[in-house]
Amino acid sequence: MSSTSQHLLLSPAELAYLHGSLSLITPGPIRPDGRSPTQFRPLTAETGILPGTNGSARICFADGTEAVVGVKAEVEKTPLSPYEFVASTEGRKDHTQKKSGSRKSKKATGDEEDISMDVDEEAAGANDKIRGSPDWVELSVEIPGLRDDDSGTVFLTSMLTEALLADGEFVKKLWINRRFHWKLYLDIILISPPLSYPLPLLSLTTHLALLATRLPRLKSEADEDPMFDDDWAAATFLYPRQDTSAKASNKSSKPSSAAAAPASRPPITLLVMAVGDNIIFDPSKEELAVADSAVAVSVAEGPASESESEPEPESIPATTTKRNLQLLSVRTIDPPSRLTPPGVPNSVNAAAWGTMTAATPTTTTAATASATEGGAAKHPDARVTETEDVVGVWKAPRGGAKFGMLGAMVAKVLEREAASPRSQGAG
Amino acid sequence: MADRRRINGPVGATTPPIFDKPAGPVATKTSDAIRKIFLKTGITPSASGSAYLELENPNPQRPGNTSLKLSCTVHGPRSLPRSAPFSPHIILTTHVKYAPFATRQRRGYLRDSSERDLGVHLETALRGAIIADRWPKSGVDIIVTVVEGDQDRDSPESQKDDEGWDMMNVLSGCITVASAAIADAGIDCVDTVAGGVAALVCEDDKTAPTIVMDPIVAEHGSILAACCVAYLPTRDEITNMWFKGRLPGADMMVYDKLMEKSLVACRCANRVIVQELNETVKKGQGIS
Amino acid sequence: MPITILQPSLAPPPKLRNVDSDSDSEGGADLEGDVAMGRPAKRARTQDSSIMTPGEIITDDPQWMRGHGTYIIPGASSNTILSSVAGTLAKTNKLLSVRPLRARYTPEIGDLVVGRIVEVQAKRWRVDVGGTLLAQLPLSAINLPGGIQRRRTETDELQIRTFFSEGELLVAEVQQLYNDGAAVLHTRSLKYGKLRNGVFMSVTGTGGGGGVVRARRQAFTLDISGTDEVSGSEKIDVLLGVNGYIWISKHIEGEGAAAETSGPGITRIEESVGLNVYSSQNDIIPVDTMREIARVRGVITALVENGLRVDEEMVIKGYAEAVEMAKEERDSADTLWLGGERGKRLANALVGR
Repeated sequence: MSSTSQHLLLSPAELAYLHGSLSLITPGPIRPDGRSPTQFRPLTAETGILPGTNGSARICFADGTEAVVGVKAEVEKTPLSPYEFVASTEGRKDHTQKKSGSRKSKKATGDEEDISMDVDEEAAGANDKIRGSPDWVELSVEIPGLRDDDSGTVFLTSMLTEALLADGEFVKKLWINRRFHWKLYLDIILISPPLSYPLPLLSLTTHLALLATRLPRLKSEADEDPMFDDDWAAATFLYPRQDTSAKASNKSSKPSSAAAAPASRPPITLLVMAVGDNIIFDPSKEELAVADSAVAVSVAEGPASESESEPEPESIPATTTKRNLQLLSVRTIDPPSRLTPPGVPNSVNAAAWGTMTAATPTTTTAATASATEGGAAKHPDARVTETEDVVGVWKAPRGGAKFGMLGAMVAKVLEREAASPRSQGAG
Repeated sequence: MADRRRINGPVGATTPPIFDKPAGPVATKTSDAIRKIFLKTGITPSASGSAYLELENPNPQRPGNTSLKLSCTVHGPRSLPRSAPFSPHIILTTHVKYAPFATRQRRGYLRDSSERDLGVHLETALRGAIIADRWPKSGVDIIVTVVEGDQDRDSPESQKDDEGWDMMNVLSGCITVASAAIADAGIDCVDTVAGGVAALVCEDDKTAPTIVMDPIVAEHGSILAACCVAYLPTRDEITNMWFKGRLPGADMMVYDKLMEKSLVACRCANRVIVQELNETVKKGQGIS
Repeated sequence: MPITILQPSLAPPPKLRNVDSDSDSEGGADLEGDVAMGRPAKRARTQDSSIMTPGEIITDDPQWMRGHGTYIIPGASSNTILSSVAGTLAKTNKLLSVRPLRARYTPEIGDLVVGRIVEVQAKRWRVDVGGTLLAQLPLSAINLPGGIQRRRTETDELQIRTFFSEGELLVAEVQQLYNDGAAVLHTRSLKYGKLRNGVFMSVTGTGGGGGVVRARRQAFTLDISGTDEVSGSEKIDVLLGVNGYIWISKHIEGEGAAAETSGPGITRIEESVGLNVYSSQNDIIPVDTMREIARVRGVITALVENGLRVDEEMVIKGYAEAVEMAKEERDSADTLWLGGERGKRLANALVGR
C-alpha cells in the first residue's frame, strides 16, 4: 500500500462534507483551512544550515512537519567504456596508457584496429562534449515510520530522482573532465512522520538545497587529476547565479542572498488534485482523501530570457519576465479516496431512518432484507454499491480522471509556476 | 602420455573472433501503429486468473533483438488474515518482478527500486478499474513476471545510455496483461484497462521531433519525452499516467498530442484484451 | 498569494503565567481540570509557576500528599516526594501534583469527548479519544433503534457495523474508568451519537499552552446570521471535546450535543431515537454555512497556534473578530485564510495587544 493511503481514517459523513465543500463551483472550493485553491501552506525555510555539506536546506510547516536535505559531493572516477577509448586513444595515447589499472583500455586498444574506423568520427566529436550519467546522482528519502523499501518511499524517491534526471541537463553540471565527475548524494530526511503526503515538502526542500549547493572551484585543467581550490568562498554554485556580488551573504541565512537569482532553477514537484471541476494545489491529508484524482507535476526552469529586476521575497515582482519553463515529469498519484469507507444512505440504513421506529428486532432484520436485494444483505457494505449516488452520502470514486482534467491540471501548474517566482525569499 | 586430468589450452596461438559491426537498427514499423500483441488468458491453472502477453519481435533476423514477454498471475480474492484490520474494500497488492535474465544487466531476486516503482504504477492503474467495494474484507495479489524486458541486446557500441525508456513499455504491457488476468479471475471491473505508450523522438539533429506510438527504443535516434497511460476506453477515463522527458513547458500542444497518441495505443491494446476474453468465454461455453 | 515563506525566527519567549491564583484558567493547557476540583482549592495555591523536572525533590515534609506527576521512593525516607514529569507544580490543599506542559488526554468521568471508531469487535467498539489507551463503547451503552429502551439482541450484535463502523466520529460521555485509565463511553442520550454535517479538527499535541480546557459548556451554538453575507438564519454547532477533538457542524434544530436545553428530555427518547442518530448521510448544507464553518475552524487553528485557550468565550470572540477582519478586507479574495500573519493579528486583537 502506498504511503498516501496509510493512517487514513475518516468518517463517511466527513468525507461527504469535504467533497461537497471542495467541489463547489460558484464561490470556488471552500477548503477546510480557508486557503484559496492555489495557495500553499506557509512555511519557514533556511538554506546553508549544515556546514558539513555542499548544500543544505530545511523547511518547516506550521503543523510541525519538517524536512532537512543535505547535498554531499564526492569526486569519482568515470568508468570509461572501451568503445569510447577507441576514439580517445587516437589523440591521447600517452594519457590512457598511464592508467595501468584499467584493463578495459588495453582490451579496447587490442580491438581497436578493426572496428574503430567508422566510430572514430562521431566519438572524436563527442570527445570534448560534456556528458553525464544518471548514476552520478544518488537520492535517498527517509521517512520515519516507513521502511526504506516501502513502496511509498520508493515511489517518492523515484519521482524526485526522475525530475532531476529527466532533462539530462542536471547531470552535465557534475562533469569535471573526461576522467572524473562529481557524484552527488542527496539525502532527504523527514524529521517526523508526515501529517500529509510529503511530496511537496520534500521537493521544495530539495529545490532549496540544490540552489544553495556549491562545488569547490576546479584549479586543474583538462583531463588532469582534478585539483580544487581550498577556498570555500570561491566555490561555484551548482546553479550559477546572475549576480555574483551576493554570493558571500549566502552563508549567513539571510534573505538578502535572494537578490542573486539563479539563471536556471532545479526542478520542483508540485502536488495538484482535482475534486469535481476544481483544481486544488498543495492538498492536506483530509483534502487528498476526497480527491477524484491527484497528479504530481515536475517543472524546472531553464535560463530566463531576461533577468528579473529585484525580485522581492513573498511577493510577485512587478516585471514578470518570460521564463523558460520545462515540463519534466507527470505522474498520477493513487488518491487515497478509493480506499475510504462508503456512507450508507438513509433509505437503506437499517439503523437510521424513521421507518424503523417501534420495530421489534425481528422486523428490523426483515426490513433490512427488503430494503436491500437478495444476497447483498450478506455484505452490509456491498449493498451500497448497488444504490444510486445520493446527495450527502460519500461514495469512494471509481474509474479514473478525464483526459481534459489531467491536461488542465498540468496546464494550471505551468501557468501558475510561470506567474510566480517561487521560493526566492528563502535565504 | 597426454595429461587427461586437466583441460589444456590450445597448442597454437589463437585470434579472438572479430565480428562484423552489425547494421544499425532499422525502423520496422510506422509511427502510428503498435507492435502486434499476443495475449492469452488462463495459462497458469493453479492461479485464480492468469495471462501471458508477448509483443511481436519487429526484426527477428537480427541476433540481438528481443521483445517484451510478460506473465501475470492473480491470486484471490481471498480472505484477509485474521490479524488484518477490517477493510470495506478489496486490498490490492501488486508485484512486478523482472526475471534475472530479462534485461542486459542481470536482476537480483530481491525487487529493486525500479521494480517497486513499476508496482506502484500498476497498482494505481488497476485500482481505478476494479470495483473494490464488491469484495469487502478480502485481498488479491497480482504478480507480474517480466520474462523478457524489451531491451535491445545489440553490440554495446550502438547501445544508448540507459535512460529507462523501456520501463514505459514494460509498464504498459504490465497494465494490459494484469487487466486480462483480473478479468480471467472474475474480479469485477468497471472496464478493461489497457496500457499504451507514445514518445516524442528525434532521429537526428536535422529533423524535427516526431511523435511515435509504442516506440522501440533501439530504433530511434533519441527519445525526448515519453508518456505511458492506463486508459478505460468505455468510460473515457485515465487511471494512471506517467510522463517524463524534456518538453518546453509552454508547449502544451505537444504534450496533449503525446497524450492523445498514447490513448490511441491504449485503445489498440484494449481491442486485443476484449478479443481474447471473448475467445476465452466462447471456449468455456463450448466445453460445458 | 500563492506561497508564503516565513523568515526563520527564534521560539517566542515563554509566556509568564499569571501568578494570581484566582485566574488559573488563563491560557493554560488545563489538563487536570480545575473546575472538577472545585472552588476551595484555589485558596491553597501559592506557587503555580514553579517548574519541576523529573527526579527533582519537591518536598520531604510528611504533611504533603502526592498527586499526579509525582512519586515517592519506597523505603526509609518515604516522605520524600519527587517529580516524575517536567511541568509546573500545583498545590491543592495538601495535595502536590506536577502538571506536565504537554500531555495526552486523561479521561475523567463525565467528560464530553469526540471520538473516532478504530475497531469494531463483537460486542463493543474501540474508540480513539486521543488518550494513551483506546476507549470502549459497549453495545449496551448506546441507544438502539426501534424506539423503546430495549435489550440488545443477537441481531444487534450481528449488524453492529450499521450503528458505528471504522472511521466514524461520535460524541459521547465518559461513563466509567478502568484502573488502567481506559475510559468506557456511553451515548445514551439524544445529545450524543454519530456526527455528520461538518468538519473535524484535532488540537491535541500542539502544546505551548493552547488547547481545549474543561469548561462549563463544551458544546454551543454559534449564530452566523451576524455576517451580512449570510442570508437566512443559519447556525453552527461547535463541539469542543475535552480530549481536544473538535467538531464544527451545521446546526439542526433539536439535534446534536448543543441542543442540551432545547431538545427533548430523556422521557421523550422513545419518540425520536432512530431518526437520524446513526445516519451517515449529510443534509444539504448552504454554501454560506460551509464558508462560516471553515472560518470557525480557522479561528480555532489560530487560537491554538498562538497559544490561546480554546473555549466557548474565546471561540465566539475570535469568530466575531474574524468576521470583522473579513469585512475590512472585502477586496482581497482570501478572507477565510487565518494562518500565519493573519492568525497572529487575530490573536493579538483577542488578548488586547
